[in-house]
Amino acid sequence: MRKYSYFPGCSMESTAKPYRLATEYVMGKLGIGLVEIEDWNCCGATSGHTLSEALGLALPARSLALAEKRNPELDILTGCASCYARLRLAMYKARTDERAKYIIEKTIDMPYAAAREVYNFLDVFSLPDVREGIAERVVRKLTGLKAACYYGCLNVRPAEVTGAPDRENPTSMDEIVALTGAEPVDWAFKAECCGAAHQNDAASASRALPHRILRDAQSNGAEAIVTACPMCNLNLEMRQDGYVNRTGMDRIPVFSLSELLAVAMGASAKRIALEAHYVPSAAVLARALRRKDA
Amino acid sequence: MENERLNQLMERAGVRQYDCYQCGKCSGGCPMAHVMDLKPRGVMRCAQIGSLRRILESNTIWLCTGCHTCAERCPHDVDIPAVIEEMRYEAAAEGLTRRDSKVLNEVFLANIRMFGKNHEMLLAGLYNMLTLKPLQDMASLPHMYKNKLLKLLPKEPKNLTEIEALVKRAEKWRGLK
Repeated sequence: MRKYSYFPGCSMESTAKPYRLATEYVMGKLGIGLVEIEDWNCCGATSGHTLSEALGLALPARSLALAEKRNPELDILTGCASCYARLRLAMYKARTDERAKYIIEKTIDMPYAAAREVYNFLDVFSLPDVREGIAERVVRKLTGLKAACYYGCLNVRPAEVTGAPDRENPTSMDEIVALTGAEPVDWAFKAECCGAAHQNDAASASRALPHRILRDAQSNGAEAIVTACPMCNLNLEMRQDGYVNRTGMDRIPVFSLSELLAVAMGASAKRIALEAHYVPSAAVLARALRRKDA
Repeated sequence: MENERLNQLMERAGVRQYDCYQCGKCSGGCPMAHVMDLKPRGVMRCAQIGSLRRILESNTIWLCTGCHTCAERCPHDVDIPAVIEEMRYEAAAEGLTRRDSKVLNEVFLANIRMFGKNHEMLLAGLYNMLTLKPLQDMASLPHMYKNKLLKLLPKEPKNLTEIEALVKRAEKWRGLK
């Protein structure tokens, strides 16, 4: 059985409830063990590294060091692109930059060997045996659901930190989504920025960012957007009123990859709290489940 | 003096400003370029001609989302986000932090000190109050409340004293390098 030290991230404890429920459901079905890192703390995104280099590295490194101390044999897994970027950067810096490693260890007051890898859900769902497991556990198909797979920035960039093979047109999520019977659409904004924390501190300047993403997805025929990050999900979904007013387009449901997989694996809408979405989301899934293969 | 400081900052960022040949791919791909008073290419140009002031006083360093599209597309591997990050620390040290960014960062840090985690509702609430934008995103509150998307208090790390000490030690490194 696969097992990871798990870093849930702050959003999973509140606004990303449907994401958390679906993730627990899917990991349970796949027999992937998640050992929550005991006493983990916020990764610092985004203010940590805006305030100082040391804080930006030490906040994520503390949780990583705790994970490696408690479960030295386990790699680390997280479902948030921002957490992934901060955790993975701390790991990368500790491995490649002696000065950064020194600052990290002095600041967290613990040794941190960076011996284990940091992964996101896309990495794990793309492993050959896990992908096989997903295909086996899909009990109902989301036939023909036109899905725009949205990777965001930090699951793929910067290349030297993430190791992502293609940063302009990533395809790992498209391949996973296709296992559910859904049809990933070809579109241009897969890895464009949603504005992240600037939706708070520069709201009017950055509101165009999610709107451009939504418009490109819909222009390319998408019925839903699939994300791999709670913050991307929130930014794309929660503020669609302005989008509708500005562009005259319809609202579009935004799901996490975990939710799509959970539904295909048989989870009821209630079990994964689909009603908690800002944009009504059950109908587009029900339509796909009813659809027969062409 | 100013030039020396600029060169120090560039060295810290690990970037040689003359590696940039001003092609503009960075600005072309930047999702925030439409609101920046100095586009990413301009940041590099200012670094080349010694206009440190212009960079430190730009809104660019506060509006960059850190998406790394510029660095990804740069044909000469110039790490512009690293430059922007250094300039941000320098501007902050000079008291030039953009007001709303400053409020968010301070509220965020207070949050981490209190809970070890980011309490989203508290972060947004305090930010809105302190920036006199009481209504920002608040239309979503009833939905969040109804669907139990808000936690009153987050699960605290057991060791908050450790986090507090970490933050204190991190402050020590500021300005060093």
